[in-house]
Amino acid sequence: MSAHGLVNEAASRYPAPMEPPLTIDTLRTLATLQGLELTDEELAGLLPLVQAGRSMAESLRGALPGDVEPASQYRIM
Amino acid sequence: MNDLVWKSMVELARLIRAREVSPVEVVQAHLDRIASLDGRLRSYITVLSDSALAAAKAAEAAATSGETPGPLHGVPVGLKDLYCTKGVKTTGGSRILSDWAPPEDATVVSRLAGAGAIVLGKLNMHEFAYGPEGLNPHYGSPWNPWDAVTHRICGGSSSGSGAAVAAGLCPGALGSDTGGSIRIPASLCGISGLKPTYGRVSRAGVLPLAWSLDHVGPMCRTAADCALMLGSMAGYDPRDPTTSVLPVPDYMAALTGTVKGLRIGVLRPFFMESAAAAERRAVEQAVKTLEGLGASVHEVKLDTVKLAAGASSAVIAAEAYAYHEAWIKKRPQEYGADVRERLRVGAFVSGADYVNGQRARVLMRNEVDATLARLDVLVAPTTPISATPVGVGQVEIGGEEQPVRPTLIRFTRPFNATGHPAASVPCGFTAEGLPIGLQIVGRPFDEATVLRVADAYQRATDWHARRPSLAG
Repeated sequence: MSAHGLVNEAASRYPAPMEPPLTIDTLRTLATLQGLELTDEELAGLLPLVQAGRSMAESLRGALPGDVEPASQYRIM
Repeated sequence: MNDLVWKSMVELARLIRAREVSPVEVVQAHLDRIASLDGRLRSYITVLSDSALAAAKAAEAAATSGETPGPLHGVPVGLKDLYCTKGVKTTGGSRILSDWAPPEDATVVSRLAGAGAIVLGKLNMHEFAYGPEGLNPHYGSPWNPWDAVTHRICGGSSSGSGAAVAAGLCPGALGSDTGGSIRIPASLCGISGLKPTYGRVSRAGVLPLAWSLDHVGPMCRTAADCALMLGSMAGYDPRDPTTSVLPVPDYMAALTGTVKGLRIGVLRPFFMESAAAAERRAVEQAVKTLEGLGASVHEVKLDTVKLAAGASSAVIAAEAYAYHEAWIKKRPQEYGADVRERLRVGAFVSGADYVNGQRARVLMRNEVDATLARLDVLVAPTTPISATPVGVGQVEIGGEEQPVRPTLIRFTRPFNATGHPAASVPCGFTAEGLPIGLQIVGRPFDEATVLRVADAYQRATDWHARRPSLAG
């Protein structure tokens, strides 16, 4: 196993912290930090989409072995 | 009705070369048809009548002067409106770029012109290519030519390209494909479309949706026409550093008409098993046809395909947001509501989530490569469903309600993530008369085999030769 995998195996002995649930207030704060000015209605529309994205990202994290590198410049040949 | 508008690009090129027909006649026939039908179809954003006719006259003069014609000499094409066209409004299907005319052509536009093609106009699309339905609030949503009564989606984002080719408003078009945007409209509009290998065709001068997932490719009525166009488009481009230096094969010569001895993998779990009944039946029959032509058929499973949704979503969202960030902050109301919302989601994708998306792509690519080491192509339905009415957000498959948008891209986006070449060709119709597409996936840079299988299938069937009801 690569060093990468060994490090991740060591880290996995500790349970991952629970991600806090996303609320409109949290989303508003995140949006403000990003420079986005959104109304409450817009935030309410975005909330389920951002939640869905976070769920998919969490599933992906769980499915990736530790030693896979990203395609940093994605080219085949 | 003028039969010239139903000729293939291969046939038009031959007729023009043989001086049996003039490029002026061909271009005029298409312009007349656009004038007659496009008020309803809305496949074009900009029609370039004057410049197309001028180019046709020049092509006619060149043909009679004995100059050696290019492979597409005098043949009309349409360009999805995200291909920069020098001095011509290039909107990206948006209001934001509604008055923008680029100072130079995209590389592929130059290459097609160099091959002798004549641009009829700029084709409608989902705004900034960010949607698989092909809708457009600024220029009107194209009408699927296969239903004269109900306004159905053409599929996107290359919706105008799909509608125009299907209805005889151009014999071939350029599309682009980030999650399925060539193959989905090809499937829903009953035409042939090819997403080449990532890096086979230059993206220079093409408005991006997601740089690492965008692919440039042809949409035509036949696989042979896709081969003809690809031959003029493909190849290394110093303006696009992701293009490959691998030589471009003679795609037309690869169309041997036979699939004898080829090994075909049928993608059953995730693909066939989650398609609607009509799509499953049509693809099963297509596989039997290929087997009857001498191919061997094998069952295939891709375990990593379940990563495609998460990987693609994170990568597209982050890359699209990076491109649009300044506009979405300063001019949000100029976007359509769906694209505005989708773009904003990208602001909340973390760096780690983006990188994990790119890591997942490597796993997926490795598995498809390993599978294609023992097979020549993989096949599946292009989409789980056929064209839905505009405005319908849910569709029933096997008794279960599913949202239309993610359903449309389910079978196509894995091969954007992996970068493998993938084509869609018509393989049947639903009981409502709506087209069904067969997706054919090949090894990296083996577009020749993908097109060979598609062409052999089209020589044995006539789905691709049928004409839609709205087209007259």
